[in-house]
Amino acid sequence: MYAIKYNNLKVLFFSVMLVGLISSCSEEFLETEPTSSIPTDKVFESFSTASAALIGAYDQLSSFDTEGLYMPIMADVMGEDLMINSVDNWNWFVTVYQMNVLPNYTYVEVPWSQAYKVIYDANSIIDNANFIPDATEDQKNKLIGEAKVIRAFMMLKLTEMYAPSYASDPNALSILNANMAVSAESEDFPRATNVEIYDQIESDLLSAINLLGNYSDKGFFDKRAAQAVLARAYLNKGAFEQAKAMAKLAHQGIELMSVNEMYSGFNYRNSETIFTVAYTPEDNNIYLSIPSFYWPVAGYSSIRANDAFVDQFSFSDARKGFFLKEPEIDENRNLVLKFAHYQSVGNAEKISIRASEMHLIEAECEAELGNFSAAQEALFVVQQRSIGGASKSVSVGQELVDEILLERRKELFGEGFRWNDIKRRSIPFKREGDHWSKFDFGANDADYFRLTFPIPQSEIDANSKISQSEQNIGY
Amino acid sequence: MLNAFFLIPAFGQNITIQGTVTEKASGQPLPGVNVIIEGTSIGVTTDFDGLYTLQVPSNEAVLVFSYLGMQTAKISVNGQTTINAALEEETEALDDVIVVAYGTTTKEAYTGAAQIVPSEIIENRPVTSFDKALQGTTAGLQVTSSSGQPGATATVRIRGIGSLSASSAPLYVIDGVPMSGSLTDINPNDIESLTVLKDAAAASLYGSRAANGVILINTKQGKKGETKISFNQQIGVSSRISDGYQLMNSTQIYEQSWMGLYNQSIITGNVIADAKQFANNNVESIVGFNPFGVGSPLDDNGKLINGTQVITDTDWRDQVYKTGIVQNSNLNVIGGSESTKVFLSLGYFKDSGTTLSSNFERYTSKLNVSHKVNDFIDAGMNVHYSFSETNAPPGGGQGANPIRSAEIINAATPVYTGDGEYNWDNTAVRDFNPVGLSELDKYEYKTNRALVNAFVNIKISPSLRFSTKGAIDYSANKGLNYYNPFHGNASADSGINGRSSQSRSDNTAWNISNILTWKKSFEKSNLEILIGQEAHKEVFSILSAGVTNFSIPNNPELVWGSDPSTPSSYESDWTLLSFLGQAKYSYDGKYYFSVSLRQDGSSRFGKNNKYGLFYSVGSSWRIVKEEFMNDVDWVDNLKIRTSYGTSGNNSIGNYASLGLYGSGANYGGYPGLTPIQLENNDLSWEKISSLNVGFESRIFNKLNIDFEYYSRDSDGLLFAQPLSAGKGFRSILTNLGAMVNSGLEATIKYDAVQTEDLNYSIGFNISTNKNEIKNLTTDKIISGSKILEVGGDVYQFYMREWAGVNPDNGRPMWFVNEASNDVEEPEGLSSSFSDPHGSGRVVTSVYKDAERIKMGSALPEFYGGISNNVSYKNFDLSFYFYYSLGGQVYNYDYAGNMHDGTQPGYNLAVDAANSWTPNNKFTDVPRYVVNNQDQGNQLSSRFLEDVSFLRLKNVSLSYNLPSELIQKFKLKGARLTVSAENLWTLSSFKGFDPEGAINGTTNNNIPGVKVVNVGVKIDL
Repeated sequence: MYAIKYNNLKVLFFSVMLVGLISSCSEEFLETEPTSSIPTDKVFESFSTASAALIGAYDQLSSFDTEGLYMPIMADVMGEDLMINSVDNWNWFVTVYQMNVLPNYTYVEVPWSQAYKVIYDANSIIDNANFIPDATEDQKNKLIGEAKVIRAFMMLKLTEMYAPSYASDPNALSILNANMAVSAESEDFPRATNVEIYDQIESDLLSAINLLGNYSDKGFFDKRAAQAVLARAYLNKGAFEQAKAMAKLAHQGIELMSVNEMYSGFNYRNSETIFTVAYTPEDNNIYLSIPSFYWPVAGYSSIRANDAFVDQFSFSDARKGFFLKEPEIDENRNLVLKFAHYQSVGNAEKISIRASEMHLIEAECEAELGNFSAAQEALFVVQQRSIGGASKSVSVGQELVDEILLERRKELFGEGFRWNDIKRRSIPFKREGDHWSKFDFGANDADYFRLTFPIPQSEIDANSKISQSEQNIGY
Repeated sequence: MLNAFFLIPAFGQNITIQGTVTEKASGQPLPGVNVIIEGTSIGVTTDFDGLYTLQVPSNEAVLVFSYLGMQTAKISVNGQTTINAALEEETEALDDVIVVAYGTTTKEAYTGAAQIVPSEIIENRPVTSFDKALQGTTAGLQVTSSSGQPGATATVRIRGIGSLSASSAPLYVIDGVPMSGSLTDINPNDIESLTVLKDAAAASLYGSRAANGVILINTKQGKKGETKISFNQQIGVSSRISDGYQLMNSTQIYEQSWMGLYNQSIITGNVIADAKQFANNNVESIVGFNPFGVGSPLDDNGKLINGTQVITDTDWRDQVYKTGIVQNSNLNVIGGSESTKVFLSLGYFKDSGTTLSSNFERYTSKLNVSHKVNDFIDAGMNVHYSFSETNAPPGGGQGANPIRSAEIINAATPVYTGDGEYNWDNTAVRDFNPVGLSELDKYEYKTNRALVNAFVNIKISPSLRFSTKGAIDYSANKGLNYYNPFHGNASADSGINGRSSQSRSDNTAWNISNILTWKKSFEKSNLEILIGQEAHKEVFSILSAGVTNFSIPNNPELVWGSDPSTPSSYESDWTLLSFLGQAKYSYDGKYYFSVSLRQDGSSRFGKNNKYGLFYSVGSSWRIVKEEFMNDVDWVDNLKIRTSYGTSGNNSIGNYASLGLYGSGANYGGYPGLTPIQLENNDLSWEKISSLNVGFESRIFNKLNIDFEYYSRDSDGLLFAQPLSAGKGFRSILTNLGAMVNSGLEATIKYDAVQTEDLNYSIGFNISTNKNEIKNLTTDKIISGSKILEVGGDVYQFYMREWAGVNPDNGRPMWFVNEASNDVEEPEGLSSSFSDPHGSGRVVTSVYKDAERIKMGSALPEFYGGISNNVSYKNFDLSFYFYYSLGGQVYNYDYAGNMHDGTQPGYNLAVDAANSWTPNNKFTDVPRYVVNNQDQGNQLSSRFLEDVSFLRLKNVSLSYNLPSELIQKFKLKGARLTVSAENLWTLSSFKGFDPEGAINGTTNNNIPGVKVVNVGVKIDL
């Protein structure tokens, strides 16, 4: 009897020991680490991971929500030269083309949140790069400089879309000035004014110009790209002297591409590229890419060119070859052949900044400053490339400015400029010809609000510093 | 041990009796046994060696030997001076014992709220996953089935929605081990019973996983006696549960599109003649095809010319939906001896599905063995192994979703072209033909599942038991998505030329528990103490790879593609370490008390909050046992219980509190990292404290009436708080707020007739739950169609209020609702005007000028079941209804078919033909305009519908063949059954199935299924 009980006790004793063993390693037992992600504090412990974080920021910028598709394409369909087809459009960008968006539309929300994600990525790098233990001064400058250009680039696009133009109202409420990476508990950013935003952009780009050199790989922002973006910012402000200076620096020493290169599909960098979004055959947005919407077959293929716009091109203009009437595909409207895929759908770089644009900025500035012959020179550089037998313009004054603005339309269509060009110069908005959604209003008409996107409803709902009454006019 | 001597009155002759009390089975002496003179309170207890000595007054005295867990023995003195007793183990009536958290108890003694669902309700139901069979069976248990995909599980909620963003699903425990794989792998025929643990006293022992209740699954075990073999075969026919709303045929969509083009032209400012010309020129390209035999089939008013031949009128629903066959075969072997008990089962289930390329097949096997190794050790193993294979097309808004395609491809689109090839052109999802894709694409999933648990129970002494159990739950999954190289997602045109993605993943969970229980009984009271320890770890690992660019078609293996996509692999794990304890005390069979405590440490939570402590207290009073109830014969049972306790919810991602950068943000050919999650070191448990008051009664030996009142307070709810974009992320997980679920449950069962030949009983249960948000860290959170704010519930709709159509111009209208606090200063009041329908309220036709208001909840107000069981001689008929009253759904699917022309290529519901025209002014469908800008189809109460419904869940008629007949075939039993599942539904919902997702949205899911079944069961 007692013997059996002692046996029982032995069993009990061993079990208790087993229990003890298991629970003694409790502290480590409860610590687990992910295998597919890295804790934030480890990212800036070495230059190689910090560089990978910079690559990640470019990747976020290349998203179809921002520079990959939405931003450039919306900027063109909200103009008079291009349109979304009235049929076979799978409902992509139709309301944007119709200039009729609401604060809760995807077209309004996703560029906003994705752009701020890009800015957050850049902020993390700018805030932490100086503390990387194994980075040299040059390496730190590279990280900070490129991140600042990324930040300025995104902020410029955002303020062009979501705020009234600087030129029409420098003190208008603009976007959030998110100039540092903050934690979730910190205070929200309010809407800053245009002045504050442009000051931030200018300071970032001037600093970057200082920190960066020029790269041969145009998939990344370098000194020249920073100068180009700054030229655009100054142009928006109407600061023609400064814009001209930056534009000249940006295109200095660059040979413009030839007509043949121009026809090659705008899907790979060439001699005049200053910055391109470097998609690869394995890493692109496939159907949600510029060529998918522009190229007449194989994608959404819903972009068409307005007939009145096509008529503006003379027959000696090589760029007229970008338009095609092909009844088999569309018997009613002009197709656009400027942007092609390379071998597979979506495999195409997006050339975002190029030297021709810089020449046109220079021309516009010179014209505004009264230096008409310099303006004519700059304009001619771009015209002579495309127009056989071109001769330098002899116009002056407003006529010259108008000719330069028209040249911008002819040269840069489809690249994401028209919307901002209308707005920054308060040009009247008039659609003619085969547009199926027509408008005709001037800068003082009520409908002009349509040229500014509303602040997304989700932002107003989540941001304690923005009230519904601070929403843009018309929404 | 104790030796208690009671005062013995000194009268009459006293006889001294002594003896030893032992346990009959083992011969071991039993200490602590009460030896009492019957009819008195005079007695002693046996000592450590089982010895007792007692003075009895006379020879007629009878000694009563009683001990908890043993059958009471009565022995008459009759002149003996040595009386030994050998007590046998109590074999309690099987319905009395219920399986509860970490042990068993009896229904009488239990202080918690638990409901047993017996096997009869679950077995033989033609459902792939047993949780679907639970709908309507238990008060407080809400089961919603939002997809008819074979192999899909239901959404199960116990007592309301406990959480905002963490899972609100209950914990499933199978044979004492928490389960971590799919419910679909379990064969419903292997289940002996389910215990639903609803309140804190019942569930709190499961600590941090018990917040949403616990469902214990107890599988069948062997029995002592002759081996029984039974074979069960069922065949059923399944079909879509209802017809839903009608879609337009090719003539209707053609005429409607003409009208839409005409209206578009008129609105632009053209004259009528030009508008008609415009419509005639463009109608074929809008519709995509001319389905008629002639080039100009429409007259001057856009109507089909009489007598025109209709060549194409495709009913896409007919193409996509079909009749399915459901087959269920089971073999059970139950047997055992005194020392060994065995249960063996084999099962096969196949459902060929009601939709193209959607089907399910499963093989299961189970072996439960328990063996008495010696007097004090018994050991055993419960093993399950299953293999299942599913084909499931994608859901949601994807082009490849056949359900969605069937709704939006219009009837003028042919399935085949003239040469008999599939037609890939249509105006809704170009290059996707659901019939063609079901043949060419593959979505295959296979699962191997093994559940093994092994246990050893050691009886250290008659009152002290030790039980150790180790278990492994292993699922291995294989997935294949193959997009053919010709059409659809990876067509040659797109340059992808076919894509195949495969994944292999497995989830391994191990669980070890060691429990020590000690029981002690005193004269009138019993004490039971349990202490234990448990450790749990789960590791999930996955490897996935894909290729594109296929050299030859119809071969989904990765060797056939020439361009590899970047492969991926990772592991994710979590751990849990726990200590638990429980004490139960009962007095005089009338008063019961229980207390439990559990500490859990989890790897998932922030550095500052790794451990949590959970407790419960419960008590019950069996009023029926009181003296004053002795004369009240008509009351068979009367009991009230209360309990209060806390539990937690730990079901969020494994690394949710960490600030993280993720991989894959590659650019320009270089690898990149990007931030993917913001840090939150304070991330902690969701805490739930619940109060329960219950009342159980049985009267006249016929009527059972049970009530429960509960209130569950959730605090520190995990929620993705929306953030301003300036923070870089759209949201962060925080412990945001507090919510309360409170409600009443009532269960009534009436055994109306109980005679030898005829039995009839009827049951009814009803549950109501009120869900209210008590605290949010921000004022309100608006997300999509819903709002979260204090005072509202978790699925509260928030949207503009539809005011109908303006009879003057056909434009949509919404009520302005200026009083709502949606906008601070309402803008654009210039667009508002008085309601032309005479409601006296202000309306507007400009969508953004109307303000949003709260428009009801997705949660029902009442739900429950009504069941009837009749048996007459060898016939059994049972049928039960499920009802749900209240609750709404935003019918996105219907909204997609009433698009007012914003998606001119998409098909329309027939209701859209009633759209406004100058000749049809009084309608609720706005004017139809191609590329409509009126925004009438935007989010508003126009598509918000009530989803109350009554459904005949199951009807079953069985016949047990008479014994004379059976014996001729040397069988022990044979039973024929005809049954139907989801046979009939009553609801005003437009759409196939009012049972949508529990949060009130539709998403082009495979609709529910009704099945008619016949079956045979043979016992050998």
